[in-house]
Amino acid sequence: MSTETESTLAEPSGAWVSARPTRMVEVLQRLVGLPFLVREHWDLVRTSLRRDLSARFQGTILGWAWPIVQPLVMFAIYFFIFTELLQQKIRDLPENLKALMGVYMFCAMVPWSALAESLGRGTTVIVDNGNLIKKLVFPSELLPLNTVLASLTMMLFGVGGFVLAALFTPVWPRPGPLYWIPVLVVVQGLFVYGMVLFFSTLQVFLRDTIQLVGMATTVWMFLTPVFWSPELLGKDLEPYLPMIHANPAYHMVSAWRATLMGDVVVPSGVEVLHPAVVVADIPWHIGVLALWALGTYALGYAFFVFSQRRFADEV
Amino acid sequence: MTSYAVEAEKLGKAYRSYGRPLRRVGEWLTLGRYKGHHEFWALRGIDLALPRGSSLGLCGANGAGKSTLLKVLSGTTAPTEGRYRIQGRAASLLELGAGFHMDFTGRANIVMNGVMMGFSRRELEKKSPEIIEFAELGSYIDEPVRTYSSGMGLRLAFAIAASVDPDVLIIDEVFAVGDMYFQKKCVDRIYDFKKRNRTIIFCSHSLYEIRQFCDLALWLERGEPRALADSIFVTNEYAAFQRQHIGAIEEAVRAAHPPVPGLDQKRPEDMPSIVDARIYRLGTDEECYQVATGDSIEIRVWWKNPRPSETPIQIGIAFMRGDMTTCGGHATHFQGLELAGPAGCLVLRAPNLRLLAGQFLVPVVLFDGEGVHRYQDYLMPQNLVVRAYTKEVGLFRLDLAFEERELALPAPAKPVSAASSTRA
Repeated sequence: MSTETESTLAEPSGAWVSARPTRMVEVLQRLVGLPFLVREHWDLVRTSLRRDLSARFQGTILGWAWPIVQPLVMFAIYFFIFTELLQQKIRDLPENLKALMGVYMFCAMVPWSALAESLGRGTTVIVDNGNLIKKLVFPSELLPLNTVLASLTMMLFGVGGFVLAALFTPVWPRPGPLYWIPVLVVVQGLFVYGMVLFFSTLQVFLRDTIQLVGMATTVWMFLTPVFWSPELLGKDLEPYLPMIHANPAYHMVSAWRATLMGDVVVPSGVEVLHPAVVVADIPWHIGVLALWALGTYALGYAFFVFSQRRFADEV
Repeated sequence: MTSYAVEAEKLGKAYRSYGRPLRRVGEWLTLGRYKGHHEFWALRGIDLALPRGSSLGLCGANGAGKSTLLKVLSGTTAPTEGRYRIQGRAASLLELGAGFHMDFTGRANIVMNGVMMGFSRRELEKKSPEIIEFAELGSYIDEPVRTYSSGMGLRLAFAIAASVDPDVLIIDEVFAVGDMYFQKKCVDRIYDFKKRNRTIIFCSHSLYEIRQFCDLALWLERGEPRALADSIFVTNEYAAFQRQHIGAIEEAVRAAHPPVPGLDQKRPEDMPSIVDARIYRLGTDEECYQVATGDSIEIRVWWKNPRPSETPIQIGIAFMRGDMTTCGGHATHFQGLELAGPAGCLVLRAPNLRLLAGQFLVPVVLFDGEGVHRYQDYLMPQNLVVRAYTKEVGLFRLDLAFEERELALPAPAKPVSAASSTRA
């Protein structure tokens, strides 16, 4: 049995490992093969995820209460700020809608923080784990995956907290179609993973990346209707609507809002471009986000795979 | 199916160095037309073919490329040219404890470290008791690794790594750390691997270790292979090379013996001198400078002395190792020999040369009649290279031998009482 096949993957057995650059076919194989890779290394993924999460609370007094306390406090702050302090445009709204602005912000803030956290922590994940990359042979794409999964898990604590609050307290009368949650988590995860793969690779070669990503994330947050609502701001925004719709994060937060809040009925007499939270729009939002996700994943992972062989030399 | 466990063809690794990050951006923007980096070859032209069950030791100075080769073969860094392949499962121990998480217990780290190495959790749960026993951490296994001493951390790390049972084991100088007891455990484990016909690639600054563990040795110098052969041969060559400081030795010889006073005022053609000096196999005319311990050689020195009555002479021959150790000095006046006449040939016979491996300089010194002042120092055209095809260490093979006898333990000596010792 003479194996003349060439492989650039780690742990070669009987296959020649050579200096030639990664071929396009291999990149495609890797793009498709990621789920299998994750399954093969499931124990590693699971252990790292558990380690990542418990490391955050290791040695703290509240321990695992922290991931629940954090979003609750955040929720309380938004609720207070947006219902009591900020009166601007919302002033014109009827009392019932005004009171719900806190919920509206919260439902977007939870997925947005997961995205921002993944980008912030994920961009440096390869460089920070240089010690592992240089000394151990393992699929390094699992490092950014781990960051994304950890952020998503934290996000689910927030989502869970909201759902419980909606079901058992008068804060919000009824949650929306919650069955969309798993779909949303997967699509958002893929979208963010693609970006993190791209930026963590870039960070290896260009250490300014993390600074740029940090700034861009802040700008992006204000361009995304997290703290504002294009619909509620009224007719002035109409010319900008295509731009807003071109933002994948708009679709992400809109899908989450509709999923968690259900249809929000706009009272008659209030002039809006489009009702802010519409359950019927969820498939459209998720669909657009999924296209973006496939794009970032393909681009990010391809860049990662092409550059992977040089990680150990650069970190 | 090839019988080689590890093969490499023209393997090389170059690192790129960019003076400043902007140069890299420049390369990207010009699509590589602008070259902002320079390449440094850490490794080049490595050809290997290791049969299953063999063991290869790497020796060479710091920065010779030993670690780079191990990194390339273990797959953590990609080669820049050439190719290699490994049959079977390879495990590398490049650094003990890479990936330990300080806030978690030793037990948790076994699982976390193990899955990084490609084990499944189930495998690890099965192996855990064995690992814990080998690491000898006792109740500390359930304490955070942060609280461990460095020795304990190393024990745990090695225990995890040692539980891997790979076909090819790649180790980077891990024995340099830890206490003697720990080192012994590691060494035992490595021997165990060898016994089970596993292939080992191993790097060490200790030539002794390489001789002990390895059948083959590769001597690297500035990233290039200088010798790849039997480990005893290569380590000897390397040791000899390390000891080479010819100029320093000449200086030392001159300093030890002051020149005859007023030598420069005398006419050179009247002065005694050494015409030639060479080393031969004993009793033959075969010149030889590469010998083995136990070989028989003779050194012939041709001299002339136009005015023997005015300038009586003596001749000394020394064996000096490159690190300036004089391993033996022989002179005619020690033996009361007289070198009479205007010319002659002096022979120093050395049947059964006892020198062990090394490279030796053989300076020949022409003394005055008293053996104090020097007329001339003459250096042999080549150094004498001795190869030892055994694992003996030291300078000489002494006339010693082991044997086993069935003897009773001697009666214990009377203990010295405390009172008498204080009085003394």
